[in-house]
Amino acid sequence: MLKHTTCVGTAGPDAPEARVAALEALFGDPGDPDNPFGEAAVLAADERAELIPEAEAALARFGLNQEFIPLELGGRLDRIDTLARVLRPVFRRDASLGLGYGVTSFLAAVAVWVAGTPQQRRWTADLLLSGGRLAIAYHELAHGNDFVRNEFAAVPQQDDGNGGGTAGFRLDGRKEVINNATRAEAMVLFSRTSPAPGSRSHSVLLIDKSRLPRDRFSHLPRYETTGVRGCPIGGFDFRDCPVPADALVGAAGQGVELALRSFQITRSAVPGMVLGGGDTALRTVVGFAVERQLYGRSVFDIPHVRATVAGAFVDLLICDSLALVGTRAVHLLPEQTSVYAAVVKYLVPKLLQEATYDLSIVLGANFYVRDGAYGVFQKHVRDLPMTSLGHAGTAACQATIIPQLPRLARNSWLSGGEEPPQALFRIHDDLPPLDTGRLTLAASDDGLAASLVATTAWLDSYGSGDPVGTLREMARALVDELRALRERCLDMRPQDRTALASPEAYALADRYALVLAGAACLGVWRAQRHDEPGFIAGPVWTTAALARICKRLGLPVPERAAEETAGLLPEVLERFHDRRSYDLYDTPLTGVTHGG
Amino acid sequence: MVVSGTSPQEREFRSWLLERLGQYLRRSVEEIDTGVPFAEYGLDSVAALSLFGDIEDDFGLYLEPTVAWDYPTVDSLARHLAAECVRRVTGPLGEER
Repeated sequence: MLKHTTCVGTAGPDAPEARVAALEALFGDPGDPDNPFGEAAVLAADERAELIPEAEAALARFGLNQEFIPLELGGRLDRIDTLARVLRPVFRRDASLGLGYGVTSFLAAVAVWVAGTPQQRRWTADLLLSGGRLAIAYHELAHGNDFVRNEFAAVPQQDDGNGGGTAGFRLDGRKEVINNATRAEAMVLFSRTSPAPGSRSHSVLLIDKSRLPRDRFSHLPRYETTGVRGCPIGGFDFRDCPVPADALVGAAGQGVELALRSFQITRSAVPGMVLGGGDTALRTVVGFAVERQLYGRSVFDIPHVRATVAGAFVDLLICDSLALVGTRAVHLLPEQTSVYAAVVKYLVPKLLQEATYDLSIVLGANFYVRDGAYGVFQKHVRDLPMTSLGHAGTAACQATIIPQLPRLARNSWLSGGEEPPQALFRIHDDLPPLDTGRLTLAASDDGLAASLVATTAWLDSYGSGDPVGTLREMARALVDELRALRERCLDMRPQDRTALASPEAYALADRYALVLAGAACLGVWRAQRHDEPGFIAGPVWTTAALARICKRLGLPVPERAAEETAGLLPEVLERFHDRRSYDLYDTPLTGVTHGG
Repeated sequence: MVVSGTSPQEREFRSWLLERLGQYLRRSVEEIDTGVPFAEYGLDSVAALSLFGDIEDDFGLYLEPTVAWDYPTVDSLARHLAAECVRRVTGPLGEER
């Protein structure tokens, strides 16, 4: 039988694992060709460039939108780690559905939850509770993630006489490549409200499409995309279109600040959802390797295949550790998440894409086949880059990380950094409520880096035997790397903190992200080790994870660590045969067990 | 008696800011107009956030990260920093601490 993990603090039908189980049951066996939401149906819908209508209806019955609405407004959103966890089964089946149903409503609504008036919050919650959608229109094609350069204008209108207050805005311009543009009832739009250059000239507007005059507003034709092909991606065209004054979210001119604070929540949450696609990619390849015979033996017996599969599993655990810490930091260390959210959004999609590329080599020619038992793999490979570009591309995240490094190097790393609470790393512990008022635009401390130093010191007192000895060796190497980073970041030239930063500055951001990934894995292992003995409480995966990270950093990897990676294969096979997820949650999945 | 619109402290902040901006923007100090917004010279919003860390580091003034957004020129930021210095060394009655 499938084993269930227990959760501290919550139980009953609203517990996160119950919601995950309900979604799993809703989607049914992915391998059943007659399942309307199975992989064959998902692939067929992708070929038709549409979302499965019955799947959207089923998600509506489940009340997926409630996951995006704060508890106090009648939804189920109380923890960002839980949000990512509950959405993961949707992305495991079909990223288009996750995004298209979906997640872009949440990305849009966050600005309203953070800065909206009580009326705006109520209206937005009611729209989503009734099954409605919000489109998010922050970027313009010509300016990419450099959204402060946006030229889309919302000109404030003067009141016709009495108070001198504004009488709303006139909108002029286009917003392109917007998910759900045509069918969304409302949108959250980022626009220039002052011609002055700088970061106080933009505002966020919540716009009810039904209040727009039809002759001033229209939809752009649908865009065809390579990934998430089922998502109806379109755009908006405003022609001197009036919008009422009460559309303004937060104060006028606060748009950039509001966007950057909202991104700290969304950049933390989305990678943990998208991880589900990596899970399916790995599961598909394991299935291929187990079932396929080559040269008279199973593909799984080929050493390179075993190493690739084990490596991909480790990468998923690294990604999930980072995603877990990132989403929990929003609650526990909101003053520090401006850098963590960018690190998670930078590194997790990158690791997932590289892992799926490695896995594609195992599939060989089957990688190119768009249907059949392994066809879903190429769909996830196409979808992953789309979901990660979404609202924050790699370059935008790097540009957020780099300017913060000198200050963290000076004030926190290896001196003065405060160790975070263990709850940051605890998979099932409760969290304090989200306080968006504490999210700041520049991190003042780096608790995760401090935890790396603390855990390494703790390992020093742990005893000398392997495998912890190997783990300690690599943990020390990561601390040395942090020390080296500190020197280089203290010396960082001011010009490297601008958008014109040198390649060396980008390399520093990459190395820093990898060090934090190592810190996250060590923290998750250490914080779980008192639990019932299980895979995550043991040092095997952590050793393998640190070996992967050290290898990426070009640091020496102890030979014994490479052997630990091979020690993961039984777990990979067990989770495949028992149908359990390839992540920290070890979630039971629907479908036929293979009786391994 | 010479009447000056700016305090010595403000002038010090001004020349410090000009030098810093020159480094950020890879421009000579002479090229930078103290009345033109930083963004006009290509200082992006995220990079402008790191100015507050420099101020903190060099002057021990702890300000909001967005200080360079709210005072977006050399002139306005230097004036604000000088005022902050005065505010912080004097007590509520305007006396030296």
